[in-house]
Amino acid sequence: MAVTDNTEVFQRLSNAVVDMDEETTIALSELSIELGIDAYETIDKGLVSGMMRAGDLYEQEEYFIPELLLCSDAMYSGLSILQPYLKKETGKPKSRVVIGVVEGDTHDIGKNLVKIMLVTSGFEVIDLGHDISPRSFIDEANRSGAQIIALSTLMTTAMDGMAEVVRILEKDKKRNVHLVIVGGGPISSAFAKKIGADGYAPNASDAVRLVKVLTGGNQK
Amino acid sequence: MTGDLMKPAERLQAYSEGRPIDRLPCVPIVGNTAARVIGVKVSELRNDGRLLARAQVAAYKRFGYDGIRIFTDLYGQAEAMGAKVRCPLDETAYLENPAISNLDQIDSIRPIDPLKSGLLRQHLDAMERTLEAVSEEAPVTGALTGPFTNASFLVGTENLVRLTLKRPKAVHRLCRVVLETSLQYAEAILKTGCAPSLTDPMSSATLISPGLFREFAFPYLKSLIDFIHGHGKAVTLHICGKTHPVWEFMADAGADCLSIDNDANLSAAKAKVGNRVRLMGNVPPAAVMLQGSTEDVRMAVRKCVSQAHDNPRGYIVASGCSLPTETPFANIDAMMEAVREVGYPVTEIDPADEDTL
Repeated sequence: MAVTDNTEVFQRLSNAVVDMDEETTIALSELSIELGIDAYETIDKGLVSGMMRAGDLYEQEEYFIPELLLCSDAMYSGLSILQPYLKKETGKPKSRVVIGVVEGDTHDIGKNLVKIMLVTSGFEVIDLGHDISPRSFIDEANRSGAQIIALSTLMTTAMDGMAEVVRILEKDKKRNVHLVIVGGGPISSAFAKKIGADGYAPNASDAVRLVKVLTGGNQK
Repeated sequence: MTGDLMKPAERLQAYSEGRPIDRLPCVPIVGNTAARVIGVKVSELRNDGRLLARAQVAAYKRFGYDGIRIFTDLYGQAEAMGAKVRCPLDETAYLENPAISNLDQIDSIRPIDPLKSGLLRQHLDAMERTLEAVSEEAPVTGALTGPFTNASFLVGTENLVRLTLKRPKAVHRLCRVVLETSLQYAEAILKTGCAPSLTDPMSSATLISPGLFREFAFPYLKSLIDFIHGHGKAVTLHICGKTHPVWEFMADAGADCLSIDNDANLSAAKAKVGNRVRLMGNVPPAAVMLQGSTEDVRMAVRKCVSQAHDNPRGYIVASGCSLPTETPFANIDAMMEAVREVGYPVTEIDPADEDTL
C-alpha cells in the first residue's frame, strides 16, 4: 500500500480499529514497523485513537458490545505486533488496577469492557477473571502494588463479596493503600457508599474517568 | 389477609374489560424468595416440583399478588442442552460454563426433548401443581428463556456476540436448534394449562444493537410467541437493562405485555408502544426492593403508577426484574400496600412524590 507519511499510517490504523478490521490492523502495524515509525506513537495515535473513537461511538449508542469487542480484538492484534518494538519506558510507571468479577458470578462482559477502556487509557490492568474470592483481590493488589481494586457483578447474591473486600482491607489496615471501586447491574452509588467503597461508575467510560480522578491522572 | 376485595384473576379480567377494579394489578416478581416463605434452601426448590409449587403457592398466599411465575433461574433449558450450571446450597443457580468451549463444536449442539430432562419435568410438575392449587384465583405462568439468551448460555455470551458479526449463519443455525427445543418446552408448558412467560435478557440493548436484535432475537421470539398465541394464551416478554431502542420490535414480535426493568422509562414506553401493549415494571429490584426502606418502596411504586397508570393498553405494577432472594418481606408487603393505597381509578398522585426519587 502506498503510504505518504506517518500521519496517514496512524489515521488508517485508527480507522481499521473502528471498522473492526483485524486483518488490516495487523497489516498496518507491520507496515509501521517496516517504515521504522516509533512503536509507541503508532500504538497511541493509531490503535488507541481507534479504540477511543469506538468508545465514543458506544457512548452515542452507535456501537454496542459486539462492535466494541471486535474493535478491541483488532486493537489487541495490533498491540501484539507493536509491543516488542517499544523502547524501554522512561516515563513514570503506570497506575495499576486489579479487576475482576466477584465470587458467585460469572458474568464478565462488563468487567472486560472496563478493562479494555482502562488499558486504552494507559493504565496497567491485572485481570483476575470471574468468580473471584475477596481475599484473592487483596492478595493480588498487595503483590502488584495496585492502587485500585475494581469489582464487578451482575448478581445481587454476589454483592456482599464487594463489602467483604472492604472489610478485609480494614481489618488488614490496608484501607488507605488500595482504593476500591464497584460497578455492575444491581450496583448503585448508594450501595457503594453503604459498603464504604471509594467510588462507583455506571458504565465503562465513567469507570475510566473515576480511576483517573482517584489516581490523579493516568500517567502514561 | 390482604384486605383486597377481588381475586387476582377476577381483577385482571375486569381490568382488561375496562370494568371497575379495587386496585391496579401488582406483581412483585417472586422467584427464589419463595424458598424463604416456607423456610427451605434455595437449591431445594430447583429440582423438586412438589416443593417448588408449595413454595410458590405459599408466597402467593402470603403476599396476595396478581400472578405466579414458576421460576428458579434462567438455565434449565441450557443445562438440558449441555451447559454447566452451579447450584450453591442457598443461592440462585448460575452458569458455570457454556456447553461448548471450542466454537468448532458448535455443530455438535442438537435439539433435545425437554421431557427427557429431569429438571424441566420438575418445573412442569410444579406448574401443574400450582395451577391445581390456585387456578380459579390467579394466573400461573411458566418461565421460558428466550432463544438468543439460551444460545448465549450454550456458547458463552462473548463468543455469541462476536459471532453475530463474524459468523451470522452459525448464530442462526444455533438459534434454530434452540428454538426447536424451546417450542417443545413451550408446548409442554401449555399442556400443563400455564402460559409460558418469556424472558430474553441477552437480547437487551445494554448488550446488542437494535439491528442485531432485529436479526437474531426477533425472528425466534416471534416464532415462539406465534406458537403460544396459537394455543390461545397471551404472552409477557421481559427483557432486562436498556430496552428503549427495541420496544417496537418487542411489540412487533407479538408480545401482549412488555415487562421492563428500571433502566427503562415507563413514560417513554407508554408514549412509544402503550397503544399496542400492556406494560409492567419497573420498581428497582436491587436498589429499592432489596436495599430500600418500606417508604422507598412506597415512593417508587407511586412514581411508577404516576408514569404508567394511564397506559392505553393497561399497566401492571411490578418489580423491574425477578426479586433478589433476600428481598425483605416487609418491602414486598409495602409494595402491595402502596398499590392498595393508590386505589382505583387512579385519581391523582402528588407530583411532589416524583421529585423525591
